[in-house]
Amino acid sequence: MVSYPNDRSTAPNEAQIIFRQNLIRVWLSLREPPVSQKGAAMAPQPILSHPDVALNLALAVVAHSTAPLLLLNGDLSLVAASTSFCRAFGIDPATIANKPLRELGTGEWDVPQLNSLLEMTATGHADVAGYEIDLCRKDQANRRLVVNAQKLAYGTGEEVRLLVAVLDVTDARIAEKLKDDLLKEKAVLLQELQHRVANSLQIIASVLMQSARKVQSEEARSHLHDAHQRVMSVASLQHQLAASAVGDVELRPYFTALCKSIGASMIRDHNQLSLDVNIDNSIMPADVSVSLGLIVTELVINALKHAFPDSRHGVIKVNYHAHGPNWMLSVSDNGIGMPKAVADAKPGLGTSIVQALTAQLHGIIKVRDANPGTVVSIAHTQIAAVANDA
Amino acid sequence: MKKAVILVVEDEALIRLATAALLEDAHYTVLEACDADAALKILNSRSDIRAVFTDIMMPGSLDGLRLAHAIRDRWPPIHLLVASGLDAPTEEEFPGKARFLRKPYAPKHVLKAFDELFGSNPGPYRYIPNVIQNYGKLP
Repeated sequence: MVSYPNDRSTAPNEAQIIFRQNLIRVWLSLREPPVSQKGAAMAPQPILSHPDVALNLALAVVAHSTAPLLLLNGDLSLVAASTSFCRAFGIDPATIANKPLRELGTGEWDVPQLNSLLEMTATGHADVAGYEIDLCRKDQANRRLVVNAQKLAYGTGEEVRLLVAVLDVTDARIAEKLKDDLLKEKAVLLQELQHRVANSLQIIASVLMQSARKVQSEEARSHLHDAHQRVMSVASLQHQLAASAVGDVELRPYFTALCKSIGASMIRDHNQLSLDVNIDNSIMPADVSVSLGLIVTELVINALKHAFPDSRHGVIKVNYHAHGPNWMLSVSDNGIGMPKAVADAKPGLGTSIVQALTAQLHGIIKVRDANPGTVVSIAHTQIAAVANDA
Repeated sequence: MKKAVILVVEDEALIRLATAALLEDAHYTVLEACDADAALKILNSRSDIRAVFTDIMMPGSLDGLRLAHAIRDRWPPIHLLVASGLDAPTEEEFPGKARFLRKPYAPKHVLKAFDELFGSNPGPYRYIPNVIQNYGKLP
């Protein structure tokens, strides 16, 4: 009779491995004659009636398992242990034969809870599924183990056998915790960054408003207010970005918030002037969105300042619509219209900003008379983009 | 008419300066504190403060949100305006009847918030007899 590891204390040699592989073939063919230890053919009969061969196979399967496995009998002593088990938990394979589990190693496996669970399993009263224990060994860090155990059903009247799988999850748990910690840290850093950006923008806005308060010239004050509004436009995008995870911005809520902010600080009488925002469902990357937002800011400020003198009533409309890669942004008003001598007028900072950003977006600016009022549109088409790139 | 006393709590000096100037221009009396500890010291030393405008993220033993809760507990009649560059705190995190402003805030938003908090009574405490009745320790 061949048995392992009960009467063999060393790792299997090559001949033994080949022998066991032969056994597995026997198992698979079931009715082929099993090969004896000496290699002589035996009479054909079902493998299951061959307790020796069946046991050998079971022992071989356990011994070669790459996952740490134990085969226990009903009184919780070892029938076999996988090489991987011995290696993982520093057990000398020579010492395991018929040893009670609680005496394994230096007694570290004598865990009362585990013992009682395994006893229950042996008597068929419980299954151990994913039970976690800490393996405490002298002079070594504790290891967190996940134990699964099952009573084997392999025929009637046979001895009780328990198959116990022991998984060391210590490193996996550490890696998991590290990942969680990193994710938390990332969230904290992101919050910190968001806080700093908002605070920095608030500082700039505060300084500009302080300057506006101090200057004597009405023109200078107006410029400082515009500068303040530009900072708030960038801040408005920051809010939208903070709400999105991937750096893409939904234009409708962004432009709506932006125009609300401009209206709140620049329109004195909301019965006199109103802002109408009509935006499709477009989503744009952050860098494009901030340019579009600044263009809207300039065009709306410009219309508010020049299109409605003497408390003239009116509406400013902001439209944005996209078809595939092409899009069109327009800001229209029903005010007094452009002055006749546009060419003579010296372009202000607002005009320069709109021109620079439009070029950056590969767009084309068109200004036309709307009778009454003015329409400024920025169109981007792929063909125009190619022409600009060339 | 002189308006209510507002305590501005903000660790960033330039923001605090500009916010104080903005409120003074609107004829409020403004006190300034650079963190929650300084704010509590001021709150303990005088009883005419009608509103506290605080940032959330501040160094010191309390952040602005805890400061707001402490004020709501000890000085229930004081109006609270809380600002942060991050998302508004959830309702459970936020003390009752406090208002939130997203940073960066525009001057108009600050003034509007105080207009709404004070309602028809933007004056100092001594002009509000019903508050004195409700909270007898006030002057």
